[in-house]
Amino acid sequence: MKNTIRLIIFISLIPFFDLILKAQGVYGGLGANPIETIIHTTGDWGLRILIVTLLLTPLGYYSDIAFFRQFSKPIGLMAFFYSLVHFLSYAIIDQSGDIKIIIVDIIETPYLIVGWGGFLCLLFVGIASHKRLQHWFNKNRPTISGIVYTAAVLAVWHYFWQAKTVEIEAVIYIVTVCILMLWRLKITTAKK
Amino acid sequence: MTFLIKNKKQIKSFEITPEKTYLNRRNLIKSVGILSASSPLTSLLADNHEINKASLAFTKNSEFSTRETVNSFEEITTYNNFYEFGLGKSDPYRYSGNFKPKPWTVLVTGEAEKTGTLAYEDIVASHQLEERIYRLRCVEAWSMVIPWVGISLMDFIKKFQPNSKAKYVAFESVFRPSEMPGQKRRILDWPYIEGLTIEEATHPLAFLAVGLYGRELANQNGAPIRLVIPWKYGFKSIKSIVKISFKERRPKTTWNLAAPNEYGFYANVNPTVNHPRWSQARERRIGSGLFSAKQPTLMFNGYAEEVADLYRTIDLNKNF
Repeated sequence: MKNTIRLIIFISLIPFFDLILKAQGVYGGLGANPIETIIHTTGDWGLRILIVTLLLTPLGYYSDIAFFRQFSKPIGLMAFFYSLVHFLSYAIIDQSGDIKIIIVDIIETPYLIVGWGGFLCLLFVGIASHKRLQHWFNKNRPTISGIVYTAAVLAVWHYFWQAKTVEIEAVIYIVTVCILMLWRLKITTAKK
Repeated sequence: MTFLIKNKKQIKSFEITPEKTYLNRRNLIKSVGILSASSPLTSLLADNHEINKASLAFTKNSEFSTRETVNSFEEITTYNNFYEFGLGKSDPYRYSGNFKPKPWTVLVTGEAEKTGTLAYEDIVASHQLEERIYRLRCVEAWSMVIPWVGISLMDFIKKFQPNSKAKYVAFESVFRPSEMPGQKRRILDWPYIEGLTIEEATHPLAFLAVGLYGRELANQNGAPIRLVIPWKYGFKSIKSIVKISFKERRPKTTWNLAAPNEYGFYANVNPTVNHPRWSQARERRIGSGLFSAKQPTLMFNGYAEEVADLYRTIDLNKNF
């Protein structure tokens, strides 16, 4: 169990290590706009891992593989990790950590409001998943799950909205999250 | 109006290695130990950076050139938007290798006394090329300082003697899906169209670039001939031009058609009019360093003194 968690953490940290290496100038570096590369990469992986987390529910429901049911928490926490680095690199590096500027920037930039909302959802679930809150967490699983789905919708919206044109990747994420939500709904109704 | 200052100079700008590149090169030589002795710069830059493009003879226009730190050749050639080659910022650099900018002709047509097809070589030969170091501000809130080589658009236009009906100038990019992978999908309504009012097009700052850093334009930067309008957002500066037409009616321009509430016809750089989805008040200067703050965006990208008069009668909040 512990080793599996370690493996999950290690694998999901590969894109993060890749960024660290690039920041040291390894294989081409971070490019002409390094902060943009950092923000985009961490955002992309936060969203991708979040989608993987949501995928675990139906996979666990339709199969007997225990893995899918046991490890949604560590995988979900890795999505939170990327969204945290994503937000912090925006706030501290891109906006120089200036709270006043950040507030004005978020107000003027609608996709940032949406992204901020998604981040708060993940932050809440991240805190709630702490050991000391385990009892409360287990009791309120449906609510927690709803918040994670909300985070995914906001994250995809945030991604879609910042682009100048319709990007294929954004469309794939939107379709995937929609299917996963419908799937989840089907499972929930079936249980009742 | 005189704005052409012809100073014959001894050393071309591309022959001078920017200090940063020089220092990087030293570091690389130190770390690698050995480096092909023939041409260190060529070794540093991949083939696709097009360092092998022919050099151009030109004068320096110091009147219109900014003294700000110029972006490196590598920054300018690896990071830009040119959706004909893909949506990513490095896609133009990566996927423009198969594009053939020669032979090339530009069709000039519409409301003018003289019209016709011009060969690229004739356009270059019939004008004194000059270098202008302009700021470029992208609508996405990043900016660069770029040493273009080219000709004044006003000088170019004059030769065709546009008539009184010529109220607008429309520009069209090349459409070659076989050489431009981005055109295989309808990301935008190809071919790319841009336009200016005749007053804007004949403003002394309006520029037709054929070169960069003293050499012919790299494919990814709009080879072989492109527009450079420094006081407008970058998307107005259309690349790889095949057609220029003088029109009585305002042309339907690509980005304006794609999202009229986001990209106006004028698209003047304006820190007080935000893009509906993001702020235009500040910009990230490429190459300024990871931890440097964004800088304030200037009205008309810092060219207000020169161009503000063009817009004194229109409401810039409505005509963004």
